[in-house]
Amino acid sequence: MHALSLLLLTKIAVWHAYSGGEERALEQVVKTYNQAQAAKAEPVEVETIQVPYGSFADKLQAAIPHGHGPDVFIAAHDPVGQWAKLGLLRKLDDLMPVPEVTAPLLPQTVWPLHEGDTQWGLPLSTKSLAMFYRKDLVKTPPQTTAELWALGAQLRQGWTATEPHRYGLAYEAGNFFQHATWLHAFGGAIIPKGAELPRLETPEQLLAARYVVGLQQRGDIPEDMTAVLVTQFFNQGRAAVVLNGPWFISEIAPDVPYGVAPLPLVSETGLPGAALTSIEAGYVSATTKAPQAAADFLRYLVGPQSALTRARVGRQSVSDRATWQHPDVQADPVLQAFAAQLPHMVPSPTHPAMRSFWEPGEQALRQVLRGVAPEQALHAAQVLLDRYLQPPPPTVSETPIVLLSSALLLLGALYATFRVRRERLVSLALKSRDAYAYIAPALIGMTALVLLPLLIGAGMSLFTRDTTGAWHYVGWANFKQILQCDGGGCLEPLSFYYTLLVTILWTVANVALHVLIGGSLALLLRDPLLKLRGVYRMLLIIPWAVPNYITALIWKGMFNRQFGAINGVLQLLGVPPVSWFSSFATALSANIATNVWLGFPFMMVVALGNLAQIPGEVEEAATLDGATRFQTLRHVILPLLLPSMLPSVLLGAVWTFNMFNIVFLVSGGEPDGATDILVSQAYRWAFTRGHRYGYAAAYAVLIFLILLIQSTLLRRASEKQNLDV
Amino acid sequence: MAAVSIRHLGIDKPSAARKAAGPNRILGDVSLDIVDGEFLVLVGPSGCGKTTLLRCVAGLEELTRGEIFIDGQRVNDLAPRDRDIAMVFQSYALYPHMTVFDNLAFGLRMRKTSTAEISRLVDEAAQMLEIHHLLQRYPRELSGGQRQRVAMGRAVVRRPKVFLFDEPLSNLDAALRQQMRLELLRLHRRLQSTMVYVTHDQVEAMTLADRIAVLRQGALEQIGTPQELYLKPKNVFVAKFFGAPEMNMLPGRITAGQFVREGAELPLQLPVPGLPDGKAVLGIRAEDLHLMTAESSGQLSAQVDVIEHLGAEDLVHVRSGASSLVARCAVQQTPATGAQVQLRLEVERCHFFSCEAGPTEGHRLEPTV
Repeated sequence: MHALSLLLLTKIAVWHAYSGGEERALEQVVKTYNQAQAAKAEPVEVETIQVPYGSFADKLQAAIPHGHGPDVFIAAHDPVGQWAKLGLLRKLDDLMPVPEVTAPLLPQTVWPLHEGDTQWGLPLSTKSLAMFYRKDLVKTPPQTTAELWALGAQLRQGWTATEPHRYGLAYEAGNFFQHATWLHAFGGAIIPKGAELPRLETPEQLLAARYVVGLQQRGDIPEDMTAVLVTQFFNQGRAAVVLNGPWFISEIAPDVPYGVAPLPLVSETGLPGAALTSIEAGYVSATTKAPQAAADFLRYLVGPQSALTRARVGRQSVSDRATWQHPDVQADPVLQAFAAQLPHMVPSPTHPAMRSFWEPGEQALRQVLRGVAPEQALHAAQVLLDRYLQPPPPTVSETPIVLLSSALLLLGALYATFRVRRERLVSLALKSRDAYAYIAPALIGMTALVLLPLLIGAGMSLFTRDTTGAWHYVGWANFKQILQCDGGGCLEPLSFYYTLLVTILWTVANVALHVLIGGSLALLLRDPLLKLRGVYRMLLIIPWAVPNYITALIWKGMFNRQFGAINGVLQLLGVPPVSWFSSFATALSANIATNVWLGFPFMMVVALGNLAQIPGEVEEAATLDGATRFQTLRHVILPLLLPSMLPSVLLGAVWTFNMFNIVFLVSGGEPDGATDILVSQAYRWAFTRGHRYGYAAAYAVLIFLILLIQSTLLRRASEKQNLDV
Repeated sequence: MAAVSIRHLGIDKPSAARKAAGPNRILGDVSLDIVDGEFLVLVGPSGCGKTTLLRCVAGLEELTRGEIFIDGQRVNDLAPRDRDIAMVFQSYALYPHMTVFDNLAFGLRMRKTSTAEISRLVDEAAQMLEIHHLLQRYPRELSGGQRQRVAMGRAVVRRPKVFLFDEPLSNLDAALRQQMRLELLRLHRRLQSTMVYVTHDQVEAMTLADRIAVLRQGALEQIGTPQELYLKPKNVFVAKFFGAPEMNMLPGRITAGQFVREGAELPLQLPVPGLPDGKAVLGIRAEDLHLMTAESSGQLSAQVDVIEHLGAEDLVHVRSGASSLVARCAVQQTPATGAQVQLRLEVERCHFFSCEAGPTEGHRLEPTV
């Protein structure tokens, strides 16, 4: 490249969340493109940036409006309607002859990206479930469910009391995305024909739900499957067939002989099992500085040359029809299995209401699998869904609050000026300039990281955000809705008061057990004659040192009804297995057990420190005074230890009150949100119930106020205690 | 009230530094008899094992060797709570979360004394120690002296067989310490109990004790009345430990019944009939060394170095050859600094110590009659 073209070089940033083969394929496509561009008079250089999947959407929403984002990005199609409304996407119609570009593509992948007369993105590939089978257990992959269940029945005959049971099929039955496969086979859809919004209370939903209950009751599928368990079952040969997506290939153990086949025909209806399909598409950012160059690259990216690379290297089910005729693609059995499903693929609905659908949908599924009557479960879930889809509170005039806050600010400023003048604060401050300089970094940090977010969060609670991302002032409506239990009874799991009670129960139980167990262990470990004291102490601190989400996931696994260690032990003792997450008491106990495991070492360490503060001579004096070990403990050590534990109890109470990870990861609020605490409830309102940020912010403000009151009271109590001792 | 008998007591503690270094010997082989009603003071420099010995009697230390008897009963395997002893700690060790009343009553409550009896006994003890007005206060609301009294009250209230005191006065100022010493003496006279008292302060030991036991490096150096220890110290260590200022020491040699001071230029010759020949150290206390004018005939000539004024008398430090000596002197007779003086020794009050193991390790030489 010579100097002139360097000056004219246009750079295009492409964001993607690919990894492995798909990432390699993209790099290869980009490399070829850049090489071809280098020879041109006004070359374009494409640069790829991998953005983690989990934060992809957030980063897009944060960056694009400010013009920092990518020029082109690759993402699934479901949020396309939302993104278009938020103004993140550039219309493609002005940048390319859309009909001409999309003609060679599979039409069912094109239309979901089309809205009115606008094409928002170009489809690159599709991702959906298929049937993975172990060749050592299945000679020919079942083509109908009848064959699949026959396989299961055959495996059941080999069940013994000692060996782990083998299943015909394993999949995440509680995951609605996977369940949709059956729903479609029973002629249903998440958004039924003619309806505007997703619905759960439909005849097809009922049929599909009953069907799954039947599978579980007959033992055709194992219970309580998670993604990890499905992988484990397949790799260990405990499941002959699993339903999974193309990403599963990288999780299959290298020595497992596997094949991929299209989803089976559901024998009961004669319709094929049709998986919800995600279309991966390329988009041009609304704020790109080089829209034409970006569009040109996107066009190349969907084109036949790139499609072949992506199919061969990335093993993508590409949208380009001609690519499927290529001998290499024809020879790939995995791709062929996915190709066979293309004709009846069901693209995931793109309606913004879908963001509120998954939680009630999965609640209904889990209830059904737990034994609740399908009609009842679907009805309850439909009620929830309707509640989540309620329109936001009406916008009210901002004048009163603006006037009020202006008046308050003005008064505050006047008062501050008065104080500053009267007490000569300026000259005082100038005198201690150095001191202010020292605290400035901390002050700035605290303001930016604590104070501002707090104020912004509190401010958000007075607003509601519409689907275009615009904020509307609603006054106290969010608080009113929360405190007046709008849309449900005050003692139902979703109400603020119910959740508050659960949170208090959760906090009190945890902190009490932390102090009890931590304190007892500290008393045991204090004995100087105890051998290997250091070793015990280190071992007991380990639960604290392990990142808590790992511990939470391990405990969740241990509480699994069918395969968990805890039920295993219970069974050895002759106790029937407990379905831990299907009743409030057991689910809460599971949460508490996990959090106690995580939290007692902290209290133990604090108690050890506080015990070291108690002079040995005081104890010796008690001994000489005739006290037994227990009496010394009761009359001398505990009265001295407990007041010194109060600050840690206070801290522990605040932490536990807001212990999101454990509740979210262990019980996940099961059953039906009954074990959610305030923070996890607030999280759900913000992220899984239609992004009601204002409502969630109001929750956060209430949590803040409760903690403020709680810590003030506890601090007072501890100060009083400290005066007494 | 009871006699305490300690037989061949030894305590080893595992060495903190290294296991290979072997156990650390805290007490070697201590045997000691404390008579019923006696006030025995254990004295010695820091780290000599005196507190450990006291804690052994209390039952707070595990014995490596030996036996302890209280009132004729072997208590080695008896828990502290069953030994019927009371101990006053250096730090007082009051229960910070209890009022003075509860502090005093705690031991009685643990022994299931009736409520009426408790209030009578606490009352009596409080009267005795003049802490009656403090009964409803918490320890943190008391001054050091008041806490000390409460600590003593806690011991007194139970009327134990033996009282143990572990440097109870060391945290008090000088005036208060003197006052408390007198009160302790009164208390002992009144209670007539066996008391074992640990201190590193020789004045405290001298003023309080019926008998004093001197400990050094885990071994008993000498036991006797204060007078015996002062007048007939068994060795250089005891001699130097008691008395202020410290006893003067002059190295020399005994040849044929004569002590000759080392250093020929300042001859000192004393007749010491009956003492064996060899290197020796002469010890003489400041009050037994008299200053005289340079013209007088003394046994030693010296030059005045420093004068300490004590009020009623002065301490005059003089240099005589290589040695530094100190003499007590009436104020009127104190010479000027730098003056040449003659020294006269009260011959019958001189102490002689052997010197084989070095001048600080010598033991008392007695005439072999």
